[in-house]
Formats: sequence, structure tokens, C-alpha cells
Amino acid sequence: MKDFSYIRAATADAARQAAALPGAMLLAGGTTLIDLAKCGVAKPDSLIDITHLNGLDRIEVDERGATIGALAKMSHVADHAGIKSQFPAISEALWQAASAQIRNMATIGGNLMQRTRCPYFRDPANFPACNKRNPGSGCSAIGGVTRGHAVLGTSEACIATYPGDLAAALVAFDAMIHLGERRISVDAFFLLPGSTPDREHAMEPGEMITAIEIPASATARRSTYVKIRDRQSYEFAAASAAVGIEFEPDGRTIRDLRVALGGVATKPWRARAVEDALKGKVLEPEAIRAASLLAVEGAVDHGANRYKIELAPRVVARAILKLGETT
Amino acid sequence: MTNTTISVHLDINGRHHDLALEPRVTLLDALRDRLGLTGTKKGCDHGQCGACTVHVDGERVLACLTLAAQVEGRAVTTIEGLAREGETHPVQAAFLEQDAFQCGYCTPGQIMSAVACIREGHAGSDEEIREYMAGNLCRCGAYPHIVSAVRQAAQEAAS
Amino acid sequence: MTVHIKSHGDASDGAFAEAVGGRLSRVDGPAKITGAARYAVEQQLDGLVHAVLVDSTIAAGRVRAIETARAEAAPGVLKVLTPDSIVGLRTASDWFGTPPPDKPYFPLARDITFSGQHVAAVVAETFEQAVAAAALIEISYDETPAIVDLNDAKAGDGIPVDAMTKEWGDAPAAFAAAPVRICAAYNTPREYQAPMEPHGLIARWEDDRLTVWEPSQWLDGMARTYAEWFSVPFENVRLVSPYIGGGFGSKALALSHGAVAAYAARMLGRPVKLVLTRPQTFTGYGGRAATRQTVTIGAAQDGLIQSIVHRGVNETSIDGMWVEPLGSVTSIMYATPNFSSRQNVVRVNSVVPGAMRAPGENPSAFGIECAIDELAYEVGIDPLEIRLRNYAEQDPHARKAWSTRQLREAFATGAERFGWAARTPKPRSMRDGNQLIGWGVAAGTYPVRRAHGEAIVRILADGSVEVESSSIDMGQGTYTILAQTAAETLGVPADSVVVKLGDSRFPRAGVTGGSRLAGVMTGAVYKAATSALDQLVGLAISDPRSPFHALQANTLVVANGRIASPRGDGPDVSIAELLSGIGLDRIEASGDTMPANSTAEDRYKNYTTISMALPHTEGDYSRHSWCAHFIEVRVDEDFGTVRVSRVVSALDSGRLYNPKLAESQWKGGIIMGIGQALLEEGIVDRRHGRIVNNNLADYLVPTNADIPDIEVISVGIPDPHSSALGGKGVGELAIVGVAPAIANAVFHATGKRIRDLPITLEKLI
Repeated sequence: MKDFSYIRAATADAARQAAALPGAMLLAGGTTLIDLAKCGVAKPDSLIDITHLNGLDRIEVDERGATIGALAKMSHVADHAGIKSQFPAISEALWQAASAQIRNMATIGGNLMQRTRCPYFRDPANFPACNKRNPGSGCSAIGGVTRGHAVLGTSEACIATYPGDLAAALVAFDAMIHLGERRISVDAFFLLPGSTPDREHAMEPGEMITAIEIPASATARRSTYVKIRDRQSYEFAAASAAVGIEFEPDGRTIRDLRVALGGVATKPWRARAVEDALKGKVLEPEAIRAASLLAVEGAVDHGANRYKIELAPRVVARAILKLGETT
Repeated sequence: MTNTTISVHLDINGRHHDLALEPRVTLLDALRDRLGLTGTKKGCDHGQCGACTVHVDGERVLACLTLAAQVEGRAVTTIEGLAREGETHPVQAAFLEQDAFQCGYCTPGQIMSAVACIREGHAGSDEEIREYMAGNLCRCGAYPHIVSAVRQAAQEAAS
Repeated sequence: MTVHIKSHGDASDGAFAEAVGGRLSRVDGPAKITGAARYAVEQQLDGLVHAVLVDSTIAAGRVRAIETARAEAAPGVLKVLTPDSIVGLRTASDWFGTPPPDKPYFPLARDITFSGQHVAAVVAETFEQAVAAAALIEISYDETPAIVDLNDAKAGDGIPVDAMTKEWGDAPAAFAAAPVRICAAYNTPREYQAPMEPHGLIARWEDDRLTVWEPSQWLDGMARTYAEWFSVPFENVRLVSPYIGGGFGSKALALSHGAVAAYAARMLGRPVKLVLTRPQTFTGYGGRAATRQTVTIGAAQDGLIQSIVHRGVNETSIDGMWVEPLGSVTSIMYATPNFSSRQNVVRVNSVVPGAMRAPGENPSAFGIECAIDELAYEVGIDPLEIRLRNYAEQDPHARKAWSTRQLREAFATGAERFGWAARTPKPRSMRDGNQLIGWGVAAGTYPVRRAHGEAIVRILADGSVEVESSSIDMGQGTYTILAQTAAETLGVPADSVVVKLGDSRFPRAGVTGGSRLAGVMTGAVYKAATSALDQLVGLAISDPRSPFHALQANTLVVANGRIASPRGDGPDVSIAELLSGIGLDRIEASGDTMPANSTAEDRYKNYTTISMALPHTEGDYSRHSWCAHFIEVRVDEDFGTVRVSRVVSALDSGRLYNPKLAESQWKGGIIMGIGQALLEEGIVDRRHGRIVNNNLADYLVPTNADIPDIEVISVGIPDPHSSALGGKGVGELAIVGVAPAIANAVFHATGKRIRDLPITLEKLI
């Protein structure tokens, strides 16, 4: 790691100001930042440690929804009784992510800010070309080992997958990110790579995630997160789906549906086409499977990641059907 | 040329240590290279194996992704601090009895993780133990015996 | 006391825990569960400095220039090493002891033959400073085209390895005439040992004497290499390796990073610590070579094999030679009147591959044990039944009797415990909701490798016992079984025995590999302890100061640390009391298993090379361990994900010196086999000839959540032809046959025959 200075922020405002300086970065759980600093990807001049700030780790759940402080730990949110009952997909997305140790370190704000696992992005010594790290230098992944790369939302400049689970669940339930006073939807917060894959978020210098707000809904109450991967645990998703469903009083007709994908796209991916196709329809396996194919409309593969185009709709269908079974 | 060091006060296993460290020194390297507390192991240095698991304020975390400076003011427990008054912790005893290790390199991390797993209430079934111990890789393949050891220690703690 | 070898029944003896065959808990366990066990690079030495390597980023070519100025100017940097800064090292002999070519050795390379080759190193006061400075080194190259893997068009057919050819009868003709013929290709990728402890060392010079603290499966072999590199006498090099955090074949040889650290230590006059980063462990030494095999079987309609034709290829490096013997299981598992196996090696731009758990037997079994399953389906016979029909009653290749082969018992016991009889043969005929269920069987085997070892046994004044050997314990249980051997032989409690291992100053041992150490070292300790006991009893009878002197006894009994007459009618004293009475502070005896007329040169060769190992078919017998795996998988029909849900394995390792520890090793082998079958693959970026998943997040090894309960059953009987105390190999055996059992189970579940490992979801979706 390159040498850096360490500053422990006394207040959130002080942290924001310090982090706005060139070369400064906010340090929370460190599970992404310290890792990437060791890889030679992150090269901060100074780290502003915000883990000792008070009051930013609260988890509040009421009839309107949940507000989760940016410094709440993943493990605490996953195990929170209100989150488990009102937002099961959020809890499931969290406990299926990383490991118990990492979930005790990583914060909710930091979780959203995690970077791609693209092996080319993570290895600057061997692969200097990376548009995300070094705009205009090219993409080493295209034409290389692409098994984990995105099939949705890609561009000619970047095919790196956004790896997080939580964000997929958040985007399904219209969560908002609090950047101090400013509010922005999770969907709008994450940017498509386009020709500027180095710009991953709609956050301005001096801004800091302070909280996440998830509105209560019937779909969120009846929701799940299905994550498929090679290994049973401690691995990023090959494909995942956050799904919430609300039935009409008949218990069979879908009144509302939320579908988002993880592990297959360059950002947390809301699959509105699936939602629209199934709203008002009766829950029936063949119809669910057919509509789930809409989740990967427009998908583009790069060889080894082609299986994701097959896999993702099946994960969506499984999640929807699973929710149909639990009455 | 020299690097700037900062003064860091650490509370490890109930003992205070004053160190002059560069800010970039991880808790793991501070333990192993500066304090001679080599029970905490370095397996990957990137949060991918769990060998460096320690407790900070009672919660299991990875020392390789924690800066030493970050834990100032917090209580750090390592494998060396788990036994109380020379008496091995029930999880340690269960690991020995169940032969829950071979080479022993992942073992301190496994044990620190297991103690926390039980304390968190995540040792309710074999399936839950497997999931909540999945962050500690063991290449010798002691997993079934680790599950037995955690189950045994959890039952002892509950009785 | 003598060690009684039971001739019948359960090889676990049913002995009390402290005796050989007992379930004594690991004697090194307390140190490992408390963090007190100090591994090699954890020594805290005054003046220690840190070295970090910089590796090539191209797979083939030449280093044009290395820009070191920024690194040299960085804080704390003591030295930057490049290929030119290392002069005067000599090429060392290989592990066969072949005299080396008389040429210099360059552990930092200018001519690049693989991506990840060490090119430069930085030594600094702190680890952090060395890491930061290493990132400032800039290397430019003249790159040339690389052969990236076995499938590279430039790779060609490779070099025939005549020594691997095994042929009898007329296999091609018999195949052509056979009524049933199957032919298929089976591939295994690069796999990595991935021990949890990365490779590394601390090197320290005192004048011309070198001490190396390094995790090692072979202290004496590595000491020989260091001595030859640095042109110092063998005796001047001391290797210390008290605990080893996993090896699986990867820690047997001194490697170039060791030469760099030792060179830097001599240059700077300070101890140097160098530890490979996790990514460097994928190129700092070789994993299992990628392999390709074709297996053709000709058979009669009743499933009786008439011919096997086997062709194998493994990759090796541009300038090194690794042969993964792919016909090793093919040639002995089943009886066949006609057989042909040949093998080529293909040079690719990779680090030279190396030994990984059951090298040869493991991929070999993947070929033949899948092929026989395919034959079973072709002729409509149960996969277990077809194995019994073709059971080899003797070694079909060596044409010798098996020393012991409890494979039929393994099939029977495993099948019964697994419930194999309830299997419905048709693929896709068993399911649970979305989960397709499959049951697969496969056999495994590993030869009994034998060598020689030395040990010292000391009975000390307080009655405690010391055992010393330069052999090592990387988790197999050497500390424990040698304590049990000494305790039982001497008649003392196991907790009064202190076993000291892992220091090349101790009596010597050969390589810890090929599952040979337990058989070798229990034999040596048994001999040394017997000799010490004879001395003790002799003195007790003959020394005038002994309380037994007046007894005129022919012998005495030593049990539980006390000495008495056999009839119990005389004195009864502790060993400590006896020694104090006769004025001795110790009794010491050394023992070895070398032939009586061995010269000093023989001994040196035995301990520092593998050239003296005894063939497993020496004399009248063919010696092997055997096993049968019964495995259930669940395959998600939509996702293609495979999870192993049940394993029952019955294994014949002969007599078990400690069943508790042997069971652990067996389960560990099975678990590594599950990883091999479903997860593990070094993935090459074919544009760069570089492994891109060189870390533990992307090279997937099983987690706890991937592993079900595993039942292992010992069906072995003591094998007097295999070792002094009746044991055969344990550690390598159990992985052999796991991957084919899983592949066969996946076929049963899905109807899809996957012949390329690992069986990942995209192959089934």
C-alpha cells in the first residue's frame, strides 16, 4: 500500500469536508477500500475514518418504512427483527453476502460503494488497460476471461459487473439514498458505464451517504432474495434476484410485483418488463417462466458469461414461484 | 527517507500497547510483526479466507482489512486472549476433542469465528453452523469436525 | 514389550487411546488451539527485514530494462535485487539426485518463460515499506509469443514419455474385435494446492552457516538444495519447520523465492523474511498440471473388459519436466487381457507443475472410473456390479499378488452403509422437487511408497521420553503417532513422550509425500524405542545398583512408566527411580530402517533425494491402499448447481496408527476431491498466458457450507509387506476416485456426462 495519512473524523460535516479534498477518501468498514489499496487500485493520500461517528448506525423500522444509518453494519441490519419481518429480501440479501466477519465490518453505505470484482480491474500491475481505473486506457476484460462479467447494461468501454446483493434488493423496493440533505433513488444513484465507466455514482465531491430509506410496501413484506453461485457460500452471485409480490384478495392474482437482478449487470438492475408482464396475471408456473425471460431483454454476452442469460430468468422465476408457495 | 508514523494505543487481550505505526499498518501486521502475537494468521491478506479472524468489541472481524489505527479505543481479542486464567475456552477444548483441524493454520481464525458464531445465536443447527462458519476456509478439510465442535460447544453453552 | 500386529479384523485395533492404533487426540493440538504454535515465518528475530518480489507480467520474452531508482529511493528500502544482482549461485540437483549441470543459477529471471516469474525483489525495514517500494519498480520487456495452454495450436502433440508406456496383449486389435466399445476424452484443468499458509521463509546467515525457517515437507531435501545453490557444505544449512500450514505436495522443494531471500540475507548481513502473496502462490510453484486422457474400453456384452487403450497428455513448463502419471490407476484397477497406455507431455509457458495430492493417481482415476461407469450404462449393468465383475485378483501389470486388497470389502461395506441397493439405475429417475438426485460410485487407489528414516529415542532422568526426527507434521499427525509408538514400545504414558520434529539437526528423514512418512517413521521410532527399552531392561537386570539385580530375572516388564518382574513378585519402581538408583541421567538409542550395510553416501542419498525409495512392486507383492466412494449429489434442474449431499467412503489403508487422525485425513482428501469435481480450475487468460483467478475469492475451494456429513469406514487389515507396523498410505488415498464418483452421480442425476472438470453450472444448465 502507498503511504497515506489517517484522520479520524469528529463529525459527519468534518468528514464530508475532509473527504472533498483531492486524494482523500472516506474509510468505513474498509472491506473494499483496504482490499483495493493492497491491490494498488485505490491510492488515497488520506483516509478519513468515519467509523467512530455517533448516530449514523441507527436502524429504524415503522409503518412507513425503514431508515438505516449509513454506518449500520450489514450483520446488524440482516439480523434486525423489523427488517426481517418487513423486508425479508433485504435481510436475505445481506446474510447471503460475503462472510459473517465481513458483514460485521462492512457498513450499509460502504456496501453500496463496493467496487466490481472484475479481475482486470483489480490487477493494475498486470492489466494496465481499464477504463474504470484509467479512463481511455481500454478494457482488458473484453476478449479475456469473462465468466463473471455483466450481460446487461454493458458498453464497449466496460463490462464489469456490479457485485453487490443489497443494492439489488434496494432497487426493487424503490429505496432512496440520503446524501445528507439530498435524496436520490438507488436506481438513479448507480450509473451505467457508457463511455465513462470511471463514474459509478451520481454523487458529487463532498457528498457522503448518510442513510438509506426503504418505503414499506406489501411487496417488500412478501419478498425474497435468491442467490445462485458456484459455491454454497462466501461468493459473489452468478445471478441473483430480489423479488417482492402482492396478491389480490383471491391469493392468486398478482396485484404488484418487484423484480431486480444482481450479479448480471453493470448496476443493480430493476427488471420492470417482468413486473409489467405479470401484474394482473394469475400466478402460474409457465406464465412466470415465460415472463421471466423479459428480465434479460437486450442482454449481450462476451462468451464465457453467456450462461448468465440463461440463468438469470430462471432465478427470477424461482423467486416468484417461491413467494407464491408461501401464503 | 522515512515514513510518518502515528502513535497508536491498542487494547489487546486486556493489555495496553503503545505503538508508533505508519497509518497503513493493518491490525494483522501490527499483531504479528510488532507485537509477536502470531496466533492470528495471514492466509490471503485480502478478506478471502478468514484466517485472521479476531474480535473487536466482541464481534468477529478480519484483521487483514482493519487498520490498526481504526481499533484504537476498542477492545481487541485474539486467540491468545481466549483462554481465561489458563483454562482453555470450551470451543478450544471442543476443537481438540473433535479433531477439528489438521495443519492448524486456519484454526485460530476458526475458533475465534466459532466463539462469535455461538454468541451471535447462529449455531442453532448444523446447516446454520455451516453457513455462518463459511467465512473460514480450511484446506485440510476439517469442516465436518468443525461443525461437530461448534455444535458441541454451543450445546455446552446452552446447558 | 513388543507391538502385536493383529492379523485379522478391524485395522483400528480397538487399542486404548495411547497405544498405536488408539484414538489419541493430537499431541500438538494444545499449541494449535491456543495460537502458541509458532509457524516457520513467525519467528521473531532481531534485525529482521522484509523482502517482496516483483513478478513478470508477460508469459514469454526477455526483460529489456528494470527501472529501480524510485524504489531504491523509497523510505526504508535497503536493497533492490534484479537478475544482475544475484551472482555466484550454482544450479542444484533435482530431487532424483541427478548431478546438476555446471552452470549458474538465477532465481530472478531475465529470460521469461511464464507470467508470474520472479524478476526483482525489494528488501526494506518494514513489510509495508517493501510492498510500497516494489510497486515503484518498472519493468519493460521484449515479448515473444507464448504457448498458453494444452489447447494452444502451437503446443503440438508433445514429447512421448516412454517410461510411462505400459502394454500387454494386443489392445488395439482386441478393442476392434470387442462387441461393446466405448471411447471418451476426459480433461482436468490446472488445480492448486492452496495451503492456508502461504509459502515463505526467514533466512539468516552466521558466517557461512545458513538457517532457514521455512514450511517444508522435506527438510533434508531442501537443505541439500540450499547448500548446492550457495556452495556450502550440506551440514552448514539448517532447516527449521516446526509446524506447516498445509502442503499437499507444494512444500517439498526449495524454490526460487527461497534463493532470493537467502541471497539477500547474506548480502545485507541481516535475517530476511519473504512470504509469497496469495496471488504469487499460483505462480511461485506449480499446481497440478492440466491433463487430457482418452480411454477406450472394449468389452463383452456381460461387461467383462477385453481391452483398454489409454492415451494421456499433461502439460509441463518450457524448461522443466513434470510427468503426471496418467496410466497409474488405469493399469491396475481392473483385470484386462489386453492393455495399452502411453503418455506425452506438452511444454507450455507456465511454471513447472508440481505434486498435488495423489499426483497421477488422481487424474488417472478420473479417466478410468468415469469410463467404467459409461461402460456399465452401455451394457446395462449396475456400476458397482461391473466393478466387481472386472475385479483384478492380482496386479494385472506387475503380475504379482496384492499384498492386501480390501477393495471388495470396501465396495460391500460402502454400498451397505450408503444404501446403494435402493438406487434406481435410470438417469433422472430420482428427484426431490427441483433437485435431481444422483448416486455415483468410484474406486480409488494409491501405491505404498516406502523409504527409510532415522530417529532418536531418549529416556530422561525424570522418566519422560524424547523422540527426535527431522520429519515433519503438516497435519497428518506425525507428532501424535510417534508419541504413541514410543509410548507403547517403551511402556510409558503417551503424555510423558515429547516428540520433536521439524529441525534438520535431528536424525534424518526423507520427503513427506506419497503417504510414506507414517510407515517409515513409526518403523524407525519403533526400532529406536525397542533398543532403548533393551538398554533399560538390561541395565535394570545387570547393574549392581539396580533393585532388580538380586532377582536374577531374564526379563522385566515396563508398563505405565514402571518396571517390574513379569510375575510381579519383586520390586516395582518407576523408570525415574531406576535411573536415579543406577546413576544415569538418560538412556539414548537411535534407530533407523536403512539396510544394515548402508554407507554414509547411501544415507545422504536416501534422505536428500527420492532415488532410494523402494518400488511398490518390489519382491513378491504389489502394495497399494484402496478405497470406494459412494456419493449422492443434488443438481438443481434450473440452475445446474451441484451440491454433494452425502458421502460414504470405505477405505483400506491397512492398519491405522491412529484412526481418529486417519479419518480426518481421509475426510480432508474427500473434501479436496469435492472441490476438484465442482469448483477448482485455474483459468488462463489466453491472450496473456496468465492465471486470472489467482486468489481465494476466485479460485474456489470448498467452504464449510459446501460439505455434508461424511462417513468414512476403515476396511483395512494390517499389511506386513507394506510397513513395519502394518499400515499403508492414508493421506493421498482418499481424494482418488472422488471426482469420478461425483461425475458419475451427476450423470445419474441429469443424464449428462460431464468429462471436463470442474462440473460447473454452465455445463449443466
